[in-house]
Amino acid sequence: MLTAILIILVILVIIIFASYFNKFAVLSNRIENSLSQINVQLKRRTDLIPNLLETVKSYAKHEKQIMKSVTEARKALVSAKGLQKKVKANNVLEGALGKLFAIAENYPQLKANENFLELQRELSSTEDKVAYSRQFYNDSILTYNNLCTTFPGNLFASIYGRKKKEFFKIEAVDKKLPKVKF
Amino acid sequence: MARIDFRDQISRNKRKSFLLILIISIVFVLFGYVISFAFDPGYFFVVMIISVIFTLCYVLIGYYNSDKIAIASVKAKKASRTDYRSYYSLVEGLTIASGMPMPKLYIMDSPQINAFASGRNPEKAVICVTEGALKKLEKRELEGVLAHELGHIASYDMRYMTLVAVMVGMISIISQIFLRSLWFRNSRNDKAQLLFIILGILMAILAPIVVKLVQLSISRKREFSADASAVKFTRYPSGLISALKKIEKDPPSPKKKVSKALAPLFFSSPFKVLGKTHPPIKKRIEILEKM
Repeated sequence: MLTAILIILVILVIIIFASYFNKFAVLSNRIENSLSQINVQLKRRTDLIPNLLETVKSYAKHEKQIMKSVTEARKALVSAKGLQKKVKANNVLEGALGKLFAIAENYPQLKANENFLELQRELSSTEDKVAYSRQFYNDSILTYNNLCTTFPGNLFASIYGRKKKEFFKIEAVDKKLPKVKF
Repeated sequence: MARIDFRDQISRNKRKSFLLILIISIVFVLFGYVISFAFDPGYFFVVMIISVIFTLCYVLIGYYNSDKIAIASVKAKKASRTDYRSYYSLVEGLTIASGMPMPKLYIMDSPQINAFASGRNPEKAVICVTEGALKKLEKRELEGVLAHELGHIASYDMRYMTLVAVMVGMISIISQIFLRSLWFRNSRNDKAQLLFIILGILMAILAPIVVKLVQLSISRKREFSADASAVKFTRYPSGLISALKKIEKDPPSPKKKVSKALAPLFFSSPFKVLGKTHPPIKKRIEILEKM
């Protein structure tokens, strides 16, 4: 009788340990996955831009300055390493694109171009997706951190060597759209 | 307002689903028992076996085809990616925000602003919106509505509400059959049998009403929590609020295409008069404004 109870207890303890191990694994995988999702969306943005510039070129040849700044911002985003820098570069790019679309208002033919409209829609929807993937990344970290810091998760966190992770923050300065000079 | 945590809501919902199925099954078996005694006690096992098989088939078919049944009954058609690009990209954005798989998207031909979600789990989920919603709502408003539907999917509401709808339908079918069959009963009365007949009639009348009331109260609660999930996904309650305000002003459509059993699945009640499957829009707006 006593051995039976002991065996059941041991099995129970094993199950609890295993389930917490898995919980940590699942949550940190989710964080990794959502990080790669941010990169996927940023990549999608950079892929759309050459097409956009081609279209703009055929209607508004002399707006060289703005096209150059978009190209440069895109280059900076492609070569940026690390999430923090990438998002920063993305913000610069967003600002430059905003200017470009404002200028496009002066070119009725460009504005009416189906291809241009399509790219504009596509770019603004990837912008939303970048924001959402960042939000989900932070949400995933929050769930993970909650598990790390609340009882009994904190006990298992120290056993398995899991530490709290940093949220992704955008510094206040970065939130302002960069100025584009003419 | 006490915020409802999302993950808790999911497990609570799963538990409740199970409990409700259990309760309704018990009601069903009891019902069968009473009916068999009302006719002939010897038939108890026959009636029970038949009714259990009937229930299982009914529930399983309903469960595994809930998405198809819902889609077919409102005559929705698949939204093509090329024609409804902004619809697709909004839902894609939301699946990124919520970490959920992409649902299948459908379109329903109706001038009213409305939407519903169905399917037994997030992998098999469908979202359907009316043409009216796509036309009349701004981007952020539509996004709020879609996020609300995605909220239903995430907390397994469709599974739950579809099951409830199936169960409620089943119990009312059985009571209808019973009440009608009374006309054809051969008359060899004894007292015990009479008691069971009266009991049977009583249950036949009460059971559907009780189950219906439970269904309505659950349905209203789920709407609030789907609104909360929508805010969690979009972090932008104003979109949903202004969508709700637009729906409030929207003229009710003259044609009623939606069967009553499907009403709880919708974003806003398809019946302006009935209006009980959903909480009042004013109340929903009020709570959203607090978030």
